Amino acid sequence: MAILEVKKLTKRFGGLIAVNDVSFSVDEGEIHGLIGPNGAGKSTTFKVIAGFLAPSSGDIVFRNTSIKGRKPFRIAKDGVVRTFQETTLFQELSVFENVLIGVHKEAKTDVFSAVLGLDRKRQVRASMDANQVIEFIGLSERKDQLAVELPLGFQRVLAIAVALASKPSLLLMDEPFAGMNPEETRHMMELTRKVRESGVTIVLVEHNMKAVMGLCDRLTVLNFGTVLADGTPEQVQNNPDVIQAYLGGA
Amino acid sequence: MNASVYRTAVLIAGLLIGLTILPHFLKYHQQDFLIFLTINILVVVSYRLVTLTGEWSLIHAVMMGVGAYTSALLSKNFDISFWITLPLAGVAAGTMAALLSYPLFRMTQFYFLIGSFATGEAIRLCWIQFIKPFGGTGGISAIPSPELLDIDFLEPIPYFYLVLIIVTICVFLLYRIEKSRIGLTLHAVHWKGVLAESVGVNTWNYRALAFIVGSLFVGIAGALKVHYIGTVAPKQFDIGFMVFILIWVIVGGYRTFYGAMLGAVVLSVLDEFLREVNQLRPAIYGITLIFFILYLSGGLERLPQKIGSIFRMRKQGNT
Amino acid sequence: MDLFIQTIVNGIIQSGFYALASIGLVLVFGVMRVVNFAHGELVMVGAYTVWLVHAQHGAPYLFTVVLAIILVTGIGLVMERFLFRPMMNDPLGGLICSIGVLFILQVIATYVGGEGPSKQVPPPFEGTMVIMDSIRIPYQRLFSICVSAAALVTLWYFLTRSTLGWAVRAVSMDREAAALQGISTVRISMVAIGVGAAMAGLAGALMAPLTNINPHMGHNVIITAFIVTIVGGIGSLPGAVIAAVLYALFHTFVTTYFSGTIATISGLLIMVLVLIVRPTGIMGHRVSE
Ligand SMILES: Nc1ncnc2c1ncn2[C@@H]1O[C@H](COP(=O)(O)OP(=O)(O)OP(=O)(O)O)[C@@H](O)[C@H]1O
Ligand SMILES: [Mg+2]
Repeated sequence: MAILEVKKLTKRFGGLIAVNDVSFSVDEGEIHGLIGPNGAGKSTTFKVIAGFLAPSSGDIVFRNTSIKGRKPFRIAKDGVVRTFQETTLFQELSVFENVLIGVHKEAKTDVFSAVLGLDRKRQVRASMDANQVIEFIGLSERKDQLAVELPLGFQRVLAIAVALASKPSLLLMDEPFAGMNPEETRHMMELTRKVRESGVTIVLVEHNMKAVMGLCDRLTVLNFGTVLADGTPEQVQNNPDVIQAYLGGA
Repeated sequence: MNASVYRTAVLIAGLLIGLTILPHFLKYHQQDFLIFLTINILVVVSYRLVTLTGEWSLIHAVMMGVGAYTSALLSKNFDISFWITLPLAGVAAGTMAALLSYPLFRMTQFYFLIGSFATGEAIRLCWIQFIKPFGGTGGISAIPSPELLDIDFLEPIPYFYLVLIIVTICVFLLYRIEKSRIGLTLHAVHWKGVLAESVGVNTWNYRALAFIVGSLFVGIAGALKVHYIGTVAPKQFDIGFMVFILIWVIVGGYRTFYGAMLGAVVLSVLDEFLREVNQLRPAIYGITLIFFILYLSGGLERLPQKIGSIFRMRKQGNT
Repeated sequence: MDLFIQTIVNGIIQSGFYALASIGLVLVFGVMRVVNFAHGELVMVGAYTVWLVHAQHGAPYLFTVVLAIILVTGIGLVMERFLFRPMMNDPLGGLICSIGVLFILQVIATYVGGEGPSKQVPPPFEGTMVIMDSIRIPYQRLFSICVSAAALVTLWYFLTRSTLGWAVRAVSMDREAAALQGISTVRISMVAIGVGAAMAGLAGALMAPLTNINPHMGHNVIITAFIVTIVGGIGSLPGAVIAAVLYALFHTFVTTYFSGTIATISGLLIMVLVLIVRPTGIMGHRVSE
């Protein structure tokens, strides 16, 4: 069953068409790869799905309702959460606080409860949730370190922890493997699988082919903003258009 | 952890007790000064809440005026008791902020700065223009002082106690807000708004919330001020006063809760000593401001740390 | 009807001041991304120079106009070197510094002129030109509008025809791209603030015989400059000039038929409206963050 359907999505920046009539669908529980050369429109597609950019035309359907035109925070509440291509964290806060901010849905409170401490139970639960996520992702030992002090690989992991803390049902990961060494790559692959096993559907934008081929159940290939191919990793790898435009060129 | 909470509690209790006896050792005009200083503490602490989201508004002084005018008009024209107009002053400023948040928070950063300045100035000019009911440039005078039992609130010492109690409560409430989940979310909105948004934080709401609550408290501060001096006028809330608020926060430091208070206290006391050279005062303020921005950008709160690091550098240099 | 035409004439004369006084703010913001809150005080210093050297000590008016330009340009350059340059990456810091300068200049003015009532400078050009029996233009005002217009045209020539002017426009369009092309942004910043301050000094000197001179006169100037800058489009010089003319006409009309305060209130509201609807103003381009 499709959890996300992208229908004839187009995004223009002035004269430039970054995403051109793109359609694909993501099934519940799968890891779906979205690949393509630099500038193909992958990040733009993510931003449009997550509501950070308004689409020029087309529709985005999540769990059978259109989420087009909703604000990013609203879409996140609905269960679609993105991570960022450039590492984006609350640099001056600790790992724990970063993840705690991610637990927003459950921890949200109003001024009165906050002042009077009526939300105490809820905040305790939020801290527990945050700790759980930190443990799940394997950052327990670095819980009190500041985000800025973490090595790059761990910063990437933390970014995913922040996203997971908001309990998404669909996670859009933008190049989580970029700049990672083989060791870190292996760890991240394990982690991605673990996230999927916990019941989160994943769309993965990535240039690291080893990771993509190892993880994804299905792939959509973009080139110059249009869909070039769609299918299993084997099908895509053997598609002559793809070899020509993408794998062959590399 | 517990030890530090204990220490803080002792410190605060000591401070409050000290403040309670302090006015009895002061001359009349110094008691006045103490009242204004205490009110200004509420002004800077409430401003701090607004700045937590990273937006430096230039309308805070005018919001104080909204509270002040509300309380003055209600108590003078409708004979409503101070004890009712005081909270209403907060409500009025908060409501005004809520209305303004629609246009203002469509702007960010530089645009917000200028937009808030323009809006504030427009409101202030309305007080000048519409002599009925605001009294024009001269404002409103003979604002009644509070009534309670037989206490004479025209005297500085009783009024100081009143101000001290209300300001302590308000500052405590603001502290609770900052240390709560809301404060954490405000920090998040400030440092990485897009990331906060991506995990479901409605950043617009939080920016508006900080603005509304901050304005509410400064509205109360405004009412406290004008019921003591007995007059309210547009001049009290002009860009000059706004700049003082900015200076207090910057000189004190905006990373910790106490930084802004520290700035207000230190600079106001300094200002008292500068009475002799009245004309020169703004220039000294100006130079202080530039000095802090250029050489001590963390504010006074960072001073111990800076001195410490200079010492360490010296030591390393020697060995 | 006469009043109507007379108001138009007054408005056009006013627009020269508005444009001159605003252009510096626009230039400095465009090139350096700093809001110079002390800009109004630069105009004030120009006016004080004329009052002190011309009205008090009898030096020729035109000489003091030049003196005012030089002095204010100097202040501008000092601000650039010692405040804005170190604060390059901190726009708020630059703004706060300029507030510091604002205080300092006001105090200096108070010291130089003493407290008390506003100063007046008797107009060096006496007499009034009368057109069609009813439209009156004092020669002093005629002189100032002509000089303002000449200054603006010169600036326009400089910005569009000279290499340096081209570089200024390139930097204010896109600072990073200009730096990549090898343009020295520091040098261009100096040019921008130098030219902007010179215009402010000139505006002050021209205004001096026509207005009340006091240490706080910069306040109204900066409000006007903000309105003109925002409505015209931040960083856009043609926008600023157009906005200056429109706003001067608008302000003069509302002042004549209603009151000066209402005119300023409406101006501010228009500015807020522009900020909401089209933050880039009528001719501006978006400021990258
Ligand atoms: N805000 C924007 N304004 C104008 N053009 C943009 C904007 N964002 C992206 N683009 C353009 O849209 C195209 C697609 O960009 P996008 O970032 O989606 O590519 P990508 O597939 O994520 O590439 P990469 O693998 O390098 O991250 C590019 O040509 C890019 O320059
Ligand atoms: Mg990308």
